[in-house]
Amino acid sequence: MSGLSLAIDIGGTFTDIVVYDPQAARHYIHKEYTTPDDPARGVIVGVKALLARDGIAPSSIKRVVHATTLFTNALIERKGAKSGLITTEGFRDVLEIQTERKYELYDIFIEMPRPLIPRFLCREVPERMTETGQIEIPLDLDAVVREADALVAEGVESIAFMFLHSYINPAHEQAALEIVGRRHPAVHVTASFEVAPEIREYDRLSTTVANAYIKPLAQRYLDRMADQIRELGIDGPFLLMLSNGGLTDVAEAKRTPIQLLESGPAAGVLAATYFGGESGVDRQLAFDMGGTTAKASLVDDGEPVISYVFEAAREKRFTEGSGLPIKTSTIELIEIGAGGGSIAHLDELGLLKVGPESAGAMPGAACYGRGGTLPTVTDADLLLGYLNPDFFLGGTIRIDPKSAEAAFADLVRKTGMSVIELAWGIHDIVNENMASAARVHIAKRGRDPRRYTLMATGGAGPVHAYHVARKINLRQAICPPGAGVGSAMGLLMAPARIDRVASMVSLLDGLDWKTFEGAYRALESDASDVLSRTGADMSGYQVKRYADMRYFGQESEVVVALPPGPYTAASRDAIAHGFEKLYRELFVRTPPAVAIQMVNLRVSVSAPVPGGGMALRGSRTGSAADALKGHRRVYFPDAGGFVESAVYDRYRLPVGAQVAGPAIVEEKESTLVFGPGAACEVHASGSLVVTLPVTEG
Amino acid sequence: MTRERFDPITLELLWTRFISATDEAAAALVRTSFSTLVRESYDFSCIITDESGQSLVQATQSIPSFIGTLPATVKHFLEKYPIDKLQPGDVLITNDMYQGSGHLPDVNLGKPIFYQGRMIGYAATCAHAPDIGGKIRSPEPREVFEEGLQIPIMKMIAAGEVNETLVDIIRKNVRTPDQTMGDLWAQVVALDVMEARTIALLKDAGLDNLRDLSTEIHTRCEAAMRTAIREVPDGVYRSALDIDGQLDAPAHLEMAVTVAGDTIDIDFTGTSPQVDRAINSAMCFTFAQTVYGVKCMLAPNLPNNEGSFRPITIRAPEGCIVNPVFPASGGSRMLTGHFLGSMVLQALGQVLPNRVMASPGSPHWGMNQSGVKNGKPYANMLFYSGGIGANSLRDGISCLQWPGNTSCTPIELAERIAPFRIKYKRLRPDSGGPGEFRGGLGQEILFENRSETPIAVSFLTEHILYPPLGIAGGQPAACGILEINGQPAHAKRQHILNKGDTVLLATPGGGGLGDPKLRNGARVEHDLKQGYITDDAPYR
Repeated sequence: MSGLSLAIDIGGTFTDIVVYDPQAARHYIHKEYTTPDDPARGVIVGVKALLARDGIAPSSIKRVVHATTLFTNALIERKGAKSGLITTEGFRDVLEIQTERKYELYDIFIEMPRPLIPRFLCREVPERMTETGQIEIPLDLDAVVREADALVAEGVESIAFMFLHSYINPAHEQAALEIVGRRHPAVHVTASFEVAPEIREYDRLSTTVANAYIKPLAQRYLDRMADQIRELGIDGPFLLMLSNGGLTDVAEAKRTPIQLLESGPAAGVLAATYFGGESGVDRQLAFDMGGTTAKASLVDDGEPVISYVFEAAREKRFTEGSGLPIKTSTIELIEIGAGGGSIAHLDELGLLKVGPESAGAMPGAACYGRGGTLPTVTDADLLLGYLNPDFFLGGTIRIDPKSAEAAFADLVRKTGMSVIELAWGIHDIVNENMASAARVHIAKRGRDPRRYTLMATGGAGPVHAYHVARKINLRQAICPPGAGVGSAMGLLMAPARIDRVASMVSLLDGLDWKTFEGAYRALESDASDVLSRTGADMSGYQVKRYADMRYFGQESEVVVALPPGPYTAASRDAIAHGFEKLYRELFVRTPPAVAIQMVNLRVSVSAPVPGGGMALRGSRTGSAADALKGHRRVYFPDAGGFVESAVYDRYRLPVGAQVAGPAIVEEKESTLVFGPGAACEVHASGSLVVTLPVTEG
Repeated sequence: MTRERFDPITLELLWTRFISATDEAAAALVRTSFSTLVRESYDFSCIITDESGQSLVQATQSIPSFIGTLPATVKHFLEKYPIDKLQPGDVLITNDMYQGSGHLPDVNLGKPIFYQGRMIGYAATCAHAPDIGGKIRSPEPREVFEEGLQIPIMKMIAAGEVNETLVDIIRKNVRTPDQTMGDLWAQVVALDVMEARTIALLKDAGLDNLRDLSTEIHTRCEAAMRTAIREVPDGVYRSALDIDGQLDAPAHLEMAVTVAGDTIDIDFTGTSPQVDRAINSAMCFTFAQTVYGVKCMLAPNLPNNEGSFRPITIRAPEGCIVNPVFPASGGSRMLTGHFLGSMVLQALGQVLPNRVMASPGSPHWGMNQSGVKNGKPYANMLFYSGGIGANSLRDGISCLQWPGNTSCTPIELAERIAPFRIKYKRLRPDSGGPGEFRGGLGQEILFENRSETPIAVSFLTEHILYPPLGIAGGQPAACGILEINGQPAHAKRQHILNKGDTVLLATPGGGGLGDPKLRNGARVEHDLKQGYITDDAPYR
């Protein structure tokens, strides 16, 4: 017997709430404005509204799954706790010196990411570990106590510990953690070996400090959310989404909240992966376009591509290297372009550019009539007939084509082009930017873009999917159910998952196989302990082993999926072949006669969560004709301009229904657009599957 | 003949697609390359040019050293092999110091693109090879012959046929034959990507060639640069600088920037003659580094193409250190060339006080070591940077490369690669030039040699004799220091280290901007509290 599940995704503008009823295979959606001063408030208001609207008893909810952008925002806005650092003597400036590399070549006013801890709160103690893990200078515990006391006297709430080479021998960090934890129980502590035990001191330190910085906030927030949910009368387990697409419990989330930074976007990719799989697609380009940003991720062989480093709180949007490096496992998300609120303008060369400036939620697009006067992507989409002025967000916001048109006056005057030419130009340029970024991203992985299916989510994703997919020459685009609340949907289908990493720098041919196997076992046992505490169904327990490997002499590694253990000297060839195969896939050829080196060992354990997963069934009654809402003129340059196009109500399109383009399918949170030559069919899972006309090239 | 016109939307779309084509080629090059300089530091460039060698686009991730060098190299290709001597499937090659990018490790490859039976453009790439033979990198080589293999302009592939003789010669002359050749094949892959994308784009856009598009792009860029220059008051602005040079014989750099209407002329007359050390900056590198300064100051967002630089002329007497003649050496050209962008800022800063930064503590420093570790020969280079100059909005950033952009090797990796124990790597308090806005701090790193066998070290350093200067009343930064076993050491010579010997590198800070007495008191307090300064005397 399984109860209902409740998913809560707190985003920048909206909090999305979804209740899923597995018995009826139905889901209920509610959108509430986010309340940034106290995010729990908006959640409670929204959950109550949904439960009341759909007559759901709180006690029937047996599971709550949550994702939030709160911690990411705390890093961006530098609103975490006052924190201090204790580190190896001679190296407190690692935090400020960073990589010594600019992310922007021509800007002499460049600003590098400001450290989360100011220099005077970075303290040093005598100790030194060598690169082989030998103690060269023993840890001076008196100095640790002295510096910790001084930091507490300065009023820090949280202390980070990072000693050189602790990834190979954490003894000094452990000792410091223990003594300070005992002496100052009210102070939060984080050591680098706990969050990112990997070689490269700046990346490890950056991750450790970021965790320390958000830890007090995370603890308060998660406790409050858990209380509030209980007060609503919901008593099932409360689970949190991690950036890697797995779930964890409150205790683990409070210990290392840094693992939650990308939880919302990760959940969106999970939803796309799930629905893509339902439609028999194994390579997906998950494309999520919202109000301020568009993101893409790749799903290969049914699994989202995971990255082991990403950047938080970038100083400059879209610019690699301008953020704080965070070494946690994360579903890889590439910011590929602007969102619906992005503003169009002419640059110094007289070219039409879209973004990166955005009208945001306030004042928003000009057509919202809330004071915006600059033309945005949403305004262009409205004027091209893609959006319905009377049914934006299900009719909760009225959008006005006249205000949208007025916003184009300045561009019309400067270019001598018509409003519609400009509107199409904006739509087309935004699509080209996203298509180009996606093409380059796919090229970096050495893959052929034409083999991918576009999975469109986010409010603006399905509006742009058709034209973006055509630019990349894709054969198919899919708009899953609940596309406008994709992240909340994804929360419902995630398994519990815990990842762990340890450094082991050794040539493959110099490995001590016993130690090697032992290291994996230790990681697995730690990870599965945490996993079992989340209430996951351990009968479906799965473990995967990975290793960061490279050719000796290289400075960067690739993450290789290894065969299952236990390992002995006989495993050598299978491990080497796995590495070489991936290397060739990514880099075309392997260098001759160079030794292979292991750098980090990783494990990922997962298990299904009771009540998790999702089986949605589209409606089977009625016909496409019943779902026809009417017609409107929609702009398709392939068809010569505005053409009369059929408009359908998604909620009334039955499974198996077929609709030929040009057409529009409307739902509350989004609108699917497809042009002449395209054909759309409703899949059994409720997804809208659009087959695109094939273009040459 | 009428020229096709492009509206602001069509041009934006086409341009984006061409940039994306070079970015795809760059991704292919990075993916297939062995060189960490290519993979981690983007020490390469990819461009597409029209049939006359004018570049339309350059890959987004590409360092300033290549501004204008690759299109110039393509023009040299065209001089030696005019259109009637080119066939589909040709790939041309050179690493000529003077016709390439100023030193031999940068290998340039170009492939003519044919469409509808006509040569309509060039795909070209330049990348820093893992090794090109010759002496290990240091300022010591006296002639280019000591610096490695020189490849004159020739066909590496002729109509699809690989020149195996050339391949054999390259392999015989470099320390890493597989990696060096591997990178050249990676460059060929990048050329193929650009060729295929260009042809597809022409088809899509219904164009017969790249001429009109290239003209449109250059016309717009040129107009934008002229507009930017017109905002600068006419006049002659000078900047002069003494630099360490060979230390025993410092060098003098002299620059006169003449702004007249919408043009800029930069003249290096008065600059020291070329030297018999590898610190000469060939004219191509001098151009790239000089226009980098102009671009930073006047038009940071403009694309890198000849249109943008058409209003700018750069002149230097033949045989001077910024325009040396064959067979001068240039392997460490950055020790001279990296000053030039900053000199432009100092010159034009006199009339554009809001767009300037004081002198940075650049070029970045390097320590090259070779010896035996764990019984195997090894050689390695570690880079460390100084502080950035203050600008008119804020203090200079501490320890950041400018204009170079290689990242610093992490301590935990450096201790594995090299036989050193690093005792500290820390900011140098008081090393930033005082000013209303303070210069960024340099850093000091102390190495202890743990190798049982001796190792040889050589250095890339500057600003040991002459500090980075302040601007507009700002004061100079602290000079750099090189010490071996606590004693000042000659930074332009090779040294041998025995076990237990120590090396101290203390990189210079950046210059200050504005009178330090005008500095906000709260900022001085802040600097004292954070330990960026230990003494507020300059501010009182």
